[in-house]
Amino acid sequence: MSTPDQTNEQGMVEYRVDRILEEANTDTRIVVLARQDGVPDTFPIWVGAAEGNAIKLALDTMITPRPMSHDLIKSFAEHLNITIQRVVITDVKSSTYFATVHVANKGLERTIDSRPSDAISLALRAPCPIYITQDVLKQRSTTNLDAWLAKLESKDIGAPEVQET
Amino acid sequence: MHVKGLMFDPYNNAYIVILRDEEHSDMLPIWVGKSEAGAISMSLENVTPPRPMTHDFMKSFLDAFNAKVISVVITDLSEHTYFSKIHLMYEDSEYTVDARPSDAIALALRSNAPVFANNSVMTKQSSEELEQWLENLKPEDFGKLDS
Repeated sequence: MSTPDQTNEQGMVEYRVDRILEEANTDTRIVVLARQDGVPDTFPIWVGAAEGNAIKLALDTMITPRPMSHDLIKSFAEHLNITIQRVVITDVKSSTYFATVHVANKGLERTIDSRPSDAISLALRAPCPIYITQDVLKQRSTTNLDAWLAKLESKDIGAPEVQET
Repeated sequence: MHVKGLMFDPYNNAYIVILRDEEHSDMLPIWVGKSEAGAISMSLENVTPPRPMTHDFMKSFLDAFNAKVISVVITDLSEHTYFSKIHLMYEDSEYTVDARPSDAIALALRSNAPVFANNSVMTKQSSEELEQWLENLKPEDFGKLDS
């Protein structure tokens, strides 16, 4: 689904992918976004393992022998001369984040509805900036988030969880 | 080729997409990963997820500029890896894009585009091998495909 582009960069903050964390015991990954301008602030987004791996491949600039799904989307863009301009995390409803991918071709702009994982995966490959709207930033709960992330990272990720005594 | 179905291969811990040529009753098995199998299975079972999955997004991406998937061709088999091409029509020009068969098939199913296999691929992978493999399968080998 796509609609004519109606948003602009106003009221949005640019982020970059800082790192990908594995959550012990679950099949999920946490994509940690950090502010591009250096202001200390992290924004975590939970994604599936496959989605997290697709982002990690791009983050580590790994070249796979065959094109992965998001490499294919980038390849479509290159063949058809479509510019991937930016991706925006636009909304959050019941802990589900919504994103849009903004594309353009010959002055025609389109906005495509997407999961944040696909948007981020594509943004790293394009490459193009990642924005989060003020609306989404306001709605998140930041309580002890950094401390929680630090605790998560201090664990030996991937190893069986050891009960602390 | 018709996308006949998906099955779990317990020996390789992978999934197999079964393509079938109805006319010649040839079969072409293609091994894919779990998430790739999930993307194909959702389409086969007409499941509409609450949020667009990667190949739904891929389709939206092409739809945004009226680019059409004309066909998908499994072009080659080299050292156990299948190669395929996606043929696109965009503004009266045709484009050919290299893709993994799993992506190509997942996109073809969502675009109602035909899937073809080159004769050379069919010769390399004779369907007898698959039939033999299928005959050797035990009932407990059939895992439930979670998508």
